[in-house]
Amino acid sequence: MQPVIKARGLSKSYGSKRVLDSIDLDLMPGRILGLIGPNGAGKTTLLKAILGLAPAQGELAVLGLNPHTQRTRMLQEISFIADTAILPRWLKVKQALEYLEGVHPRFDRAKAEVFLQRTEVKAHMLVRQLSKGMLTQLHLALVMAIDSKLLVLDEPTLGLDILYRKQFYNTLLDDYFDKDKTILITTHQVEEIENLLTDVVFIRQGKLCLNTSMEELQDRFIELQLTDDQLAKVAGHTPIHSRPILGGKALIFEGGDRELLRSLGPIKTPSLADIFVAKMHGEKL
Amino acid sequence: MQDSWKDDQPIYRQLHDRILGLILSGALKEGEALPSVRQVASDYQINHLTVSKAYQELVDAGLVEKRRGLGMFVLPGAQQKIATSEREKFISQELPNLIAKARQLGIREAELTKAIRQMMKESN
Repeated sequence: MQPVIKARGLSKSYGSKRVLDSIDLDLMPGRILGLIGPNGAGKTTLLKAILGLAPAQGELAVLGLNPHTQRTRMLQEISFIADTAILPRWLKVKQALEYLEGVHPRFDRAKAEVFLQRTEVKAHMLVRQLSKGMLTQLHLALVMAIDSKLLVLDEPTLGLDILYRKQFYNTLLDDYFDKDKTILITTHQVEEIENLLTDVVFIRQGKLCLNTSMEELQDRFIELQLTDDQLAKVAGHTPIHSRPILGGKALIFEGGDRELLRSLGPIKTPSLADIFVAKMHGEKL
Repeated sequence: MQDSWKDDQPIYRQLHDRILGLILSGALKEGEALPSVRQVASDYQINHLTVSKAYQELVDAGLVEKRRGLGMFVLPGAQQKIATSEREKFISQELPNLIAKARQLGIREAELTKAIRQMMKESN
């Protein structure tokens, strides 16, 4: 099976600042990858490189194509929702559908219309009349109706209320996703997508500091909760992170001996948010 | 926002246990279809691999079968099988925990058995 995204040594600098630093990435079909990192870590730069919006050094193939030299062909099978509103404010919903029907060979207008019927977005409305939630529904309608192989979502639920967010992910899983499709999603709302992801990548200062399947993640990270008087028991085992809990500490270990840790106290898989905090505060690069 | 999962066990395991519970209580009858992987993934906002993994464990345990193109179905005898294994699990795992807890609290055997006997009588 050919990876949907394959990057080797992908790098980019703005002046002396390295914003992407030797990134290796393989994303296989049928996966949902979360790209997670603090502001300024290089998420958007990486997405731009993948979408062919900004050049980068190194090897990069998306759907087997070069995002720069074969961009037109590549874009026929990719859909993308940006974090910023990109539709012109004077455009009518109907015109957006007409436009896409005209330019995109894989756009199914009827499908978008059926989807919009379930929302409050009406065909005669102007983009500027839509609330943030309705605008996301419009984006979603356009993107769902494109028979793409890769869907890229950049902070798709930023600023949306709970109802819209839930509906967004329901639609994504129910109407869009299947085993032949692949989703790449960036977000700060780690808790919200944690259970949705099959794979996760943490990016920090342009480097990937975690690149794993969720299944592996559960084997690799262990949280051990100890009361203060038991803490001496773990001397000699170095956690990557420790945070205070009622009466003790929660320690996160990476690649620790599960049986050994289990014998010391209650263990569990730490949440993705806790692993994120641990990895971001952890070892200096 | 999401249905609450406990964090001490992987979600596929908990989903698996919930389905066992449904079959055991008769809410999901033998011969009936399990909801589709897509449906469960969307309802709980979890990925399809998690759901598939839970279903696969049920298949491996001989409780459900996959019918090509149709989905997953509860096999005859599943309820009985689950009842037997859950009973064993209760005696071998849950009861020792209960006894350990009682011991920690200084509850004596006579006191404990008396309480159990009374509760069993009341619930009959």
